[in-house]
Amino acid sequence: MAVAWIGNRETLVERAAAHAAALLGSSRCPVFSLDTDIHGTRAAIALAERVGAAYDHADGAAVSREAALFTDKGAMTVAPGEARRRADVVVVVGELPQIHHQFVGELSATVPDLSTPDLSARNQREIFLIGSNEMSAPRLSNGRIATLLSCGEASLGATLAALRAQWRGRQTSRPVSNFDDFAKALEAAHFPVFLFSGDATEGLALEMLQGLVTDLNRKSRASGLHLPASENGWGSALASTWMTGFPLRTGFARGFPEFDPWRYDVARMIAAGEADLHLRISSSIVQPQKKRNRMALIALAKTQEPVAGAAVTIAIGEAGVDHQAVVYSSRTGSLRSVDARAASELPSAATVIRLVASHVSAEAALPC
Amino acid sequence: MLTKIAGGDIIDPVNGRLGKGDLWISDDKIVAAPAAGAADRTIDAAGCIVMAGAIDIHSHIGGGNVNTARLLLPEQHAAHQARPATTPLSNAGWSTFQTGCLYAKMGFTTVVEPAMSPGAALHTHLELADIPIIDKATLAILGNDDFLLSMIRDDASSTMIEDYVAWTVASTRALGVKVINAGAAAAFKENVRTFSLDDVVPFYGVSSRKIVKTLQAAVDSLGVPHPLHVHCNNLGSPGSADTAAATIAAAEGLPLHLAHLQFYGYGTEGKRRFSSAAARLAELVNATPEVTIDIGQVMFGQTVTVSSDVMRQFSARGSAQPKKSVIHDGDGNGGGIVPYSYGKDFYGTMQWAIGLELFLLIDDPWRVFFTTDHPNGAPFTVYPALFELLMSREARTEMMAGLSPPAMALSTLAAIDREYTFEEIAIMTRAAPARLLGLTDRGHLGAGATADIAVYRRDQNIAKMLGQAAYVFKDGDLVVQDGEITHYRWGKALRLNPSPDKAMLRRLEDYHQQRYGLSLDWFDFPDTAIAREQPFGEVACRT
Repeated sequence: MAVAWIGNRETLVERAAAHAAALLGSSRCPVFSLDTDIHGTRAAIALAERVGAAYDHADGAAVSREAALFTDKGAMTVAPGEARRRADVVVVVGELPQIHHQFVGELSATVPDLSTPDLSARNQREIFLIGSNEMSAPRLSNGRIATLLSCGEASLGATLAALRAQWRGRQTSRPVSNFDDFAKALEAAHFPVFLFSGDATEGLALEMLQGLVTDLNRKSRASGLHLPASENGWGSALASTWMTGFPLRTGFARGFPEFDPWRYDVARMIAAGEADLHLRISSSIVQPQKKRNRMALIALAKTQEPVAGAAVTIAIGEAGVDHQAVVYSSRTGSLRSVDARAASELPSAATVIRLVASHVSAEAALPC
Repeated sequence: MLTKIAGGDIIDPVNGRLGKGDLWISDDKIVAAPAAGAADRTIDAAGCIVMAGAIDIHSHIGGGNVNTARLLLPEQHAAHQARPATTPLSNAGWSTFQTGCLYAKMGFTTVVEPAMSPGAALHTHLELADIPIIDKATLAILGNDDFLLSMIRDDASSTMIEDYVAWTVASTRALGVKVINAGAAAAFKENVRTFSLDDVVPFYGVSSRKIVKTLQAAVDSLGVPHPLHVHCNNLGSPGSADTAAATIAAAEGLPLHLAHLQFYGYGTEGKRRFSSAAARLAELVNATPEVTIDIGQVMFGQTVTVSSDVMRQFSARGSAQPKKSVIHDGDGNGGGIVPYSYGKDFYGTMQWAIGLELFLLIDDPWRVFFTTDHPNGAPFTVYPALFELLMSREARTEMMAGLSPPAMALSTLAAIDREYTFEEIAIMTRAAPARLLGLTDRGHLGAGATADIAVYRRDQNIAKMLGQAAYVFKDGDLVVQDGEITHYRWGKALRLNPSPDKAMLRRLEDYHQQRYGLSLDWFDFPDTAIAREQPFGEVACRT
């Protein structure tokens, strides 16, 4: 099976890596977009420093919103295991990514075993959904339906603002549906948990949610469970933070890391024609991309054929499928080692990136 | 390769070697002077002092909470950023890479991250593995976790508790055990806002004292070299000296280490009801030989407090500067990140003075350890300035002149003449930490020791001298020359490896399946997950 191409021509991985390195070496503004595991991220950031690249997650907007909650505001959060064992009221905030729906279903099917909350006669958690009827809501166990907290057509941020205002006894222009049920549940709750993600939730809405959680903690306990828009994205954000001091959307254009969530928004850089080389690292199948300007593309992807329009394509394995990997797990709220489910000879992203880096210059070995 | 460090002033209290002489290294070990043969390399150490590489027993350098602090404070980066250097990512301020470089430049070769949440062990070790040059180690946090509290509540046997502690230490690759405000994080989840040594955790009916005593006994019985590392209750509160005194008394003949005692050195005298209780605590430490402490010295300026004492951090949110914080309820402790700036006002001055009083009033340098509780009291980069304050009364006097007079009036610091000698510094930062952690291969310069060596060029300016080592060897490899990093090497994380009991493993598997809906392997990892050659170095338990 072919694993590397220069243009549409099959070649040796070594030769493709050398060509990729040459492109990186001659690029004036290389950008990386990542959708990879922790070691793939580490290798990519080390390479980014060497070639002066900026890097971001492949779906950078959502991860950036989540990072901004921490960089700009701070948060009160809870571990997923603790939420499972302690939350007597669960509030789903807006639309959660599909990957988290199973966990919400699990929450609806189980009861907390820590502390001794009164779970009412039904012996189950109370579950609310903040948003609108049109949302794709997680399926609950036994056909249960979450109680909707909504302000009609209002945005999620406006609904959260109204909810927070009503909770503090203030007037709102439009009441939140089922507020009395919500207030009653909170009054009785020992540890309500709000499930949130940056996937479809704007930054101001995330801040408003944290304001509500802070208000609740004046007299009782409550917290938020961060369910990342992308597990790979959040894992990359964590690795970037320990390696550079900054989350994603960091660039090495001046030889040292600079964090600028607008300037180093890789999608924006590509759209604006600032980038002249795009290194895309994704173990999932990549869709053909419309050719932009004269920007060259280096694609590291799980593929059996060259990626359309790519100057270089190198096939990589999928983390946790083709090779052992370390990934972020929203189920544990931390990093997790995963074995290969169907081990193959496809190299990991980290292996290929290191190979490319080895051709960039003859300086000391990269640290990752 | 045979290396001779020639003509330096050797300071090696463990082997009683004090004075001018040569030190020989063969590959990664210190060796006796060879009877014949010439060195392959000679380092001229004339005018220098030669000590073992320093060991920091309590510095928050990696793991979930530290990384959250980085995430919370991208603006801190500029303050940490060094000028561009030749080693990769070493100018990435506030990063793992810079951490290793900055420590090595000061002659530190081993650093302990003292607070690893067991559930975040892999994350912690991945960060530690990205800290170049130095060796690392970490302590696993217990004492707020449901499994342990339930066992204590249910009167589990001491053997079962030891099996659980052994499993935790082994699976997390820890060098010891830490308890942080025992029971308080669990109580905080039940909406308790203050918690003392004899308070009881709701739901479990177990007191903080009982948790500490249970873990102290388990750690001792398992032969873990480092005594239970205790972060007491009521950190930072006026009157917390009473809590520290009660905890010292609770040692009851078994080894116990109290972390960052400065943060408990607070009395309630004066019109602000905030005063120094350092003299009282120092007297208690002096009279209690089974107790060791580290200081957690405060130095002035911006920092960020990072602690798994989530209850305390929640209460400190109002003082956040800048005004943002993270409070995380974890599976056990969780943590809190609250940025803070220590000013030269009454309170800042008092905290600064209390730390120094403790350093200077505790007699035995084998039982007092040099820390700022990085970054809680100050970043570790202030160490050179702190050495100067300990070694020079004149430097202290000069500093005191610019501080709060009302605070200094409530402190005994101005009346203390003691100045640490280089020999005492070598004990406090080398020999004693190695002994406390059970690291027999380091902390001294005897034949057979690991060749972790720091060479400092003598200078009237102590901070300059100890801030930029002339030479640093790690495992015999010359990694620092004239205060600059020459190249990276990858140290190990030092760990204990007690054998887990099979029955306990089965019990834990059932527990995780039932309570978390996950198998135990979600919380464990193979060494290969670290993706470095030999990421761990094994340290033996006491037999």
